[in-house]
Amino acid sequence: MNLSSLARLSSLSTVFASRTLNRSIAFKPISCSSSVSVPHAPTSLNPNLPLFLRPPTFTATLSDLQKWQNWAKNLASSIGSSFTDSDNGPDSEILHRELNWLIEDALQNPKPLLTRNDSDHDIVLQLRADLGDLYTLWKQRIEKRRPFQYIVGCEHWRDLVLSVEEGVLIPRPETELIIDLVDDTIKQNEELKEGLWVDLGTGSGAIAIGIGKILGDSGRVIAIDLSPIAVQVASFNVNRYNLQDKISVKQGSWFEPLIEFEGRVAGFVSNPPYIPSGHIKGLQAEVGRHEPILALDGGEDGMSDLLHLCKGAALMLKPGGFFAFETNGEDQCLFLVDHMETIHHDSFHNLKIIPDFAGIQRFVTGIRI
Amino acid sequence: MSSNILRKAYNKRPSSIISRYQSISKLFLSSSNPQIQSTDFYSSIDKPQHHASKFEFLSKNASGVSLASNKRLNFSCGCSLNNTRLLFSTQAAVQPSTADGLTVDAIVANQWTILDESESDWKSHASAIAQSIRLIKKRLQWEKLKVRLEMLSFQLEKPDLWDDPVHAGKISREHGSLMGKMKLVNGLEQELIEHIDMIKLAREEEDHDLESESVKALLKMRQSVKEKELEALLAGEHDSCSCYIEVQAGAGGTESMDWAGMVMQMYKMWAERRGYGVTVVDEMRGEIAGIKRATIKVDGEYAYGYAKAEVGAHRLVRISPFDAAKRRHTSFAAVAVTPILGDGSHHVQINESDLRIERYRSGGAGGQHANVTDSAVRITHIPTGITAACQNERSQHQNKASAMAVLQSRLDQREMARQAQMNSQYTQSLTDNSWGNQIRSYVLHPYRMVKDLRTNFEVSDTDSVLEGEIDDFILSFLTDSMDKENE
Repeated sequence: MNLSSLARLSSLSTVFASRTLNRSIAFKPISCSSSVSVPHAPTSLNPNLPLFLRPPTFTATLSDLQKWQNWAKNLASSIGSSFTDSDNGPDSEILHRELNWLIEDALQNPKPLLTRNDSDHDIVLQLRADLGDLYTLWKQRIEKRRPFQYIVGCEHWRDLVLSVEEGVLIPRPETELIIDLVDDTIKQNEELKEGLWVDLGTGSGAIAIGIGKILGDSGRVIAIDLSPIAVQVASFNVNRYNLQDKISVKQGSWFEPLIEFEGRVAGFVSNPPYIPSGHIKGLQAEVGRHEPILALDGGEDGMSDLLHLCKGAALMLKPGGFFAFETNGEDQCLFLVDHMETIHHDSFHNLKIIPDFAGIQRFVTGIRI
Repeated sequence: MSSNILRKAYNKRPSSIISRYQSISKLFLSSSNPQIQSTDFYSSIDKPQHHASKFEFLSKNASGVSLASNKRLNFSCGCSLNNTRLLFSTQAAVQPSTADGLTVDAIVANQWTILDESESDWKSHASAIAQSIRLIKKRLQWEKLKVRLEMLSFQLEKPDLWDDPVHAGKISREHGSLMGKMKLVNGLEQELIEHIDMIKLAREEEDHDLESESVKALLKMRQSVKEKELEALLAGEHDSCSCYIEVQAGAGGTESMDWAGMVMQMYKMWAERRGYGVTVVDEMRGEIAGIKRATIKVDGEYAYGYAKAEVGAHRLVRISPFDAAKRRHTSFAAVAVTPILGDGSHHVQINESDLRIERYRSGGAGGQHANVTDSAVRITHIPTGITAACQNERSQHQNKASAMAVLQSRLDQREMARQAQMNSQYTQSLTDNSWGNQIRSYVLHPYRMVKDLRTNFEVSDTDSVLEGEIDDFILSFLTDSMDKENE
């Protein structure tokens, strides 16, 4: 670590420490939040089925579809790099690729639209959505900046295809690495592989399912979210991967659904809200206008949930237990490590900061002493 | 025991003749005294109701005969426990011949006139087939293949072979593959001889139905063996693999990027025409048109065997639509092809710690700040500097897996090239196919012509070529280089 980053770190940590102090007074204690929230079992209401899973009950001729495709292509081309320039949004090339994926998901046999073969223009193709809906969906994508993943109702994440919808954070590519971190850990530690894991703020259930797939036979995951929609969607995804015996999805606040497991948890992972409140306004339109604020806003400095998680990790993990948290970047990572080394110095060791593939310091991991 | 093995061998052999004749004629072949059986043979045709018992008698009879003949032909028969080895030795040792002693080589030597397929002349068919078989043998480098197969069989019998399972796997795979080729050719020779025997018998017996049926079967064989000639062109170790095709624009800006895009489109359409699966793995588009470079994965049997003929620089001459002054431009696109080896046959073991994995086009804070559908990664193999990228999968994990597969294939090819360089046998073809060599010229102005500079094969319908009709170029090159190599 060089001098300037050290200096920055120390100034940050003083700022954060004072804020933490303030907040820890203002913030609801864990025990308190349980009395406020009313946990209940996931409702039986089904989340929206991802487009690619819907039955192909609609039809359209190839030429009508090509008309739509050309219209959609032109719309995508008209964007150029304007979204990128304004808020780092997608450019036309990415939008064209998304259009192809929409076609893949919407058509039972997308081949005639995706290859340049001169097929018969009168042939009728089977669709999973009405052609009119496809116009609406693509309009929403471009004009309303509705995230592509909400348009098709799913996100490809690792080797999974997860159902997502408004109200549930779309899992990010960076977060995939948490599963690799867990995998590296449990490969070296059979006890953790067969233990109880917790994913706090599970959203679509991505991390929980990713971990559930690599744990041993007696390994279990508890996936918790405060949002009832997230709980529904996560349960749907867990069922779709037939992991309901391994993963239990619970609605609740923080560690409240976990009281009985204090000191017995083998692994603790989370991608908590970490964006500083002040940044929410300037977010990329897809994120700021469409994704749930609850899953993004991490308080004034973006650290409120992460600091809460530190306490939780100290409380819930058994000796030798592993934790991995995603953060906003280097500043939060450094602060978190510093915080753990000072406030929880007797709780954790082997603290590490791990970058994502873009080279941004993204994750903090450690072991409970 | 030996007769059992022999019978097993017969059952495996393909033949288009009606099965009851088939087994008889084969017994007949292995017999040193054909006269006896041909009598029985006729009687079984005359009285089909007694077929079963006659047949039983025959096979009993034949067991004795074949046991004797087999002993004569193959000394390893009794001691070898290895069926395939036994089979191989048996088949390699004998040239199948007709009842009156005609062999495939003799047919070639006879130089019977080869007439058009529509002429129903058995000698013409037989001669054409025999020529094809000879060509196939030549393309397979028959004599070398036999020596190599002997050597592999010898190695396979070593008791300590499996102490090194990777090496053993390689040996046994290569043995299996050569064995398959050996069996194919022996089967063809056998089949040709059987057809001729059948025709001769039918003539003697004046059974016109049987004769015309047999001539038809011979014609069918003549057609199918033509396809096998082509397949024999693709007898290289990795020819049957799927592959990656990479196209890179040469210097010259938009015009050459547009050309690279056209070349890539040509391959996509070619692959689709052939029924191969096509996936774009990596694509970097030009700002105005075309591509800077792109990699596609072509999935299917012999994709590599065919596509490897396309390696080199492709030259375009036309009036550039991107030049306001309407001048004639010459641009180049470079094509590279790498085979996708199956699991377990990789030449290079990649160490995770040798890799640098980077997110493509990353900018901004990432994480929750960004909603992206673009999760491209680039992997660099630090010791060699070789990179691979993928951005067309829908998750970063899958992009990484695809890029890893491309990297693996590039590293494998690099290693194979290194090994080949040490082995003088391959240096010739390697330098011929190197990335930088100009192999084909596409002229759209002032005249229209696509010409292969290696074979001088040319086509004036440039549109059809650019729409993927390149099979003739590929085959002429493969034939040319293969037949040259074997001379």
